[in-house]
Amino acid sequence: MSTATAPARRSTALPASPLRLTAGGIIRSEWIKLRSLRSTVWAYAIIIVIQIAIGLLIASFSVNNVAPAGSRGPNLELADLAIVVATAGVAFGQLVVSVLGVLVISGEYSTGQIRSSFAAVPKRLPVLWAKLAVFGVTTFVVSLVGILLAYLVTYPILAGSNITSNLFDSGVYLPLIGAAGYLALTGVLALGVGAILRSTAGGIAAALGLLLVVPVIFGLIPVDWAHSISDWLPGSAGANIYQSGGVFEWWQALLIMIGWIGVALAAAAVLMRRRDA
Amino acid sequence: MIEAHELTKKYGQKTAVDQVTFTVRPGLVTGFLGPNGAGKSTTMRMIVGLDRPTGGGVTVNGKVYRDHTAPLHEVGVLLDAKAIHQGRSAYSHLLALGATHGIGASRVREVIEMTGLDSVAKKRVGGFSLGMGQRLGIAAAMLGDPSTLILDEPVNGLDPEGVVWVRELVRFLASEGRTVLLSSHLMSEMALTADHIIVIGKGRVIADAPVADLVSGATTSTVRAVSPRAAEMARLLNSPDVTITSVDGETLEIVGITSAAVGEVAAANGIVLHELTPMKGSLEDAYMNLTADSVEYRTGVFDPAHPTTANAHADPARIDTPHEPSHAASHAAPAPTHTEVSR
Repeated sequence: MSTATAPARRSTALPASPLRLTAGGIIRSEWIKLRSLRSTVWAYAIIIVIQIAIGLLIASFSVNNVAPAGSRGPNLELADLAIVVATAGVAFGQLVVSVLGVLVISGEYSTGQIRSSFAAVPKRLPVLWAKLAVFGVTTFVVSLVGILLAYLVTYPILAGSNITSNLFDSGVYLPLIGAAGYLALTGVLALGVGAILRSTAGGIAAALGLLLVVPVIFGLIPVDWAHSISDWLPGSAGANIYQSGGVFEWWQALLIMIGWIGVALAAAAVLMRRRDA
Repeated sequence: MIEAHELTKKYGQKTAVDQVTFTVRPGLVTGFLGPNGAGKSTTMRMIVGLDRPTGGGVTVNGKVYRDHTAPLHEVGVLLDAKAIHQGRSAYSHLLALGATHGIGASRVREVIEMTGLDSVAKKRVGGFSLGMGQRLGIAAAMLGDPSTLILDEPVNGLDPEGVVWVRELVRFLASEGRTVLLSSHLMSEMALTADHIIVIGKGRVIADAPVADLVSGATTSTVRAVSPRAAEMARLLNSPDVTITSVDGETLEIVGITSAAVGEVAAANGIVLHELTPMKGSLEDAYMNLTADSVEYRTGVFDPAHPTTANAHADPARIDTPHEPSHAASHAAPAPTHTEVSR
């Protein structure tokens, strides 16, 4: 107890620092976190490969059988076929982005990293928003690249059967962008679920369950309202963002998807602020 | 400067931290001591807002931690070495952490060098030993050049060289005028490192004093004397303010008299002494005495130093846990063998 003068010394020894916690800094931090994990790189590589591989598969089938498998109606336009082929991988891609979306947040809880993150950002919620922004945008861009590549590599195959389309036609590029958007939103929804449950296993089970199992359960209930609810689930409603001829217009589907995300994130935000890290 | 006021944390029915009030001052190394489960880590987590207090509050440099504009510049914290994603490299971890505050790669390289992690900085943290994990945790704590450092068990898992390094580092940081709060189970290490000690037991502050005061206040100096005529010796030394404990037939532990006086008495009476040792109280003894009543997880092993008591009579003071840990200091040492020599 000999250092009564210590506080004075402190203020002269360490001058005011330019360091400051900023939103841009937190976003940069989340970007570094996202790209510095192997699992992220792998998952994104898989998304691109899946888009291309399934696109090629469906394209060859379609050409051989003239009409696409699981045809969505007799009036299918030829340009639509190119879209169906390019976005065929989305059904698998959504599983990958869901798993990745959960991992982005549950990985922090399971390793204890979240305590480092919250010590740096004690208000906590900016971490969640930054994660959403970085993961959502990255997933959108990667998905779009995969879908565009799938479109480009299948183009010659379809063209060989006189099925041509113009990428610069809004009827073509809008659905492709919509499909990438659907993948990004599905991933963001999974991130919200992961933030609520905090566990990797539980988060993945819940996110994939909501996407795959819940629609089946409602589909099995032989009453109308069950089927109506089924239409509103994220997997089925979300697909209307990029698939034409569904129950909802693309913008309605988008709003429903945003609604789901809003509910998940609101719950996640309340819990994140309240719980001990 | 850390100021806790009636800080309380309850987990359901269990009270982990019970109305703890203390101040950690700048320019000093303050040691945070307590048995496992005493509430040290919970208190440290509450300081940086990771755990929400059930009652009371704690401020750092006059503000609640979350209200600071640059939290990492106020407090650097090492909570446990595993608060890091195992799949990331040390460099990426520090870079991501620093990015939140605009701390760049050059400062990251600085703390990596400072903590001796250069050779493993690009390797994934999952493969790190406990000691390397601790060094990385300390590097993370130092990243924002904080005025306050909170280190939970910083020497845990470090090799002897690392232990000395941490000791010198925290002493240096305190000498710069920073506030340093560190917890440790290594009492001997704490005695060398800390200026001031806060002892916590069962969620309450048992003692809050400079190291020297704590040692002299909570321990009694004992004189150990070995003589073939121990019984006779004990009779000669007997007086109301002297307590004599017979360890075995030839060894006495005497409290309340100096070793010089014991020697004088022996010489005056022609008694041969085989050993005469003044046993100074250590911080470890002080700590054991203070926390004797508040140990949460006690092992069922008897003190090997006093094997004779093993099956004789277990000291009730050590088994019972009276509900007044704050008075524990006055309970003094529950000496295991009270074969007190009759007057």
